[in-house]
Amino acid sequence: MDEKILEILAEKCGVEPEDLKEDMDIDLFEEGLLDSFAVLGLLVDFDEKLGVKLEITEVDRADINTPNKVIEVVSKRG
Amino acid sequence: MIPFDSLYFFYILIIALIPAVILGLMGKKIKYYGAVVTLLFLALIFNTPTKFLYVSAFVLWQFLIVHVFERVFKKTKKRPLLWLAVLLMLVPMILTKFRLEIMGSIFGILGLSYLSFRCIQIIIDIYDGLIDKIKTFDFFYFVLFFPCISSGPIDRSRRFCKELEKGYTKEEYLELLNKGVWKIFSGVFYNFIISGIIYTYWIGKLDSGFLNDISYMYGYTLFLFFNFAGYSNMAIGTAYILGVKIPDNFNMPFGALDLKDFWARWHISLSTWLRDYVYSRFVMSALKGKWFKNPYTASYIGYFITMMTMGIWHGFELHYIVYGIYHGALMCLNDVLDNKVKGFKKLKRDRKWQPLFCFVTINLVAFGLLIFSGRLF
Repeated sequence: MDEKILEILAEKCGVEPEDLKEDMDIDLFEEGLLDSFAVLGLLVDFDEKLGVKLEITEVDRADINTPNKVIEVVSKRG
Repeated sequence: MIPFDSLYFFYILIIALIPAVILGLMGKKIKYYGAVVTLLFLALIFNTPTKFLYVSAFVLWQFLIVHVFERVFKKTKKRPLLWLAVLLMLVPMILTKFRLEIMGSIFGILGLSYLSFRCIQIIIDIYDGLIDKIKTFDFFYFVLFFPCISSGPIDRSRRFCKELEKGYTKEEYLELLNKGVWKIFSGVFYNFIISGIIYTYWIGKLDSGFLNDISYMYGYTLFLFFNFAGYSNMAIGTAYILGVKIPDNFNMPFGALDLKDFWARWHISLSTWLRDYVYSRFVMSALKGKWFKNPYTASYIGYFITMMTMGIWHGFELHYIVYGIYHGALMCLNDVLDNKVKGFKKLKRDRKWQPLFCFVTINLVAFGLLIFSGRLF
């Protein structure tokens, strides 16, 4: 599951999963890897590919600003 | 009476807040007293029987819709029902904005658009399953909370209710009280003194003509900021003293590097509301339904819809609609430059170039507000 989440996240960030693994606590928004639009695509993919439905008003930026946090939020629901 | 507008208002406010401060410093919950004060101020703000009846009917109407749909959504989650609920909630606001002749001025209620947005947020969150059931007391207190009633900030019900539930310790309240008093003073300074000076000695004196329009553009931009940020601070400060930490509405907007950044700093409670409940929802639906070949198209159309909503939210006059289109176009341009022009984003982070980005942004914003002011057409 974690691998899958990371794969989807990496695709939206425009990098390889291995790149994200280098620093799992990197701030995705500060680094310019994610923006509001990319987050929406991310939520759609989580729903379609993993069956994890998250509403946009449910997740604050602060809850999903690092790869580790994204994995935590999504796997809690999975 | 208009809130935060006269000495008379502030005299009553100070007296009404004393028991709240005592409760807070004793570490007790203020919400029930806060509800009494809110009722008192509603009676003062809507001070004729027609106005008071109308605002009561309005809120009961919204409550009824929430109440009915709370049950309906639990059984069936049909999208058209959500649209129906939102439309029914919007009816009073639409009637007001069109100023229907038959209805006369009864529909002119202060802060109706703010009230409507607070209620719509509740129903969308219920639909999304984020609110199970909103307590009757919480609903009315949240929607009618008097510091924010006429001009925001537009708080979110989940945040508001969670805070009512939690309450504050004596120490936490003392800090909140300090910040609240400071906010009220800074708000008074912005709203009465600075914006008053700008109005009296600058924009209020200008004749027509091209150069005067340019002067008005900058003057009006500054006036609106000090007036509205000041008002917001007074409202937020009052809310703090009542033990509710309403989020900030302005965060140094003239330091914005681009339009996206500007909207994250200007009238924040409205722009984030629109982001969450219009832009994001539209784009998510478009992406899920694969409405467009290029996913960015969804985002661009989303910007236009969002900014048009923002414009029309202020009123149906032409200059508000043009203001919405103008900002929709700027948001798209913002995205195109960020994504298509190599090195543009990097340049924006470069300290040497930032003053230029700031300068361009301020001018684009000021021109937008000139449209918004209705001076041009």
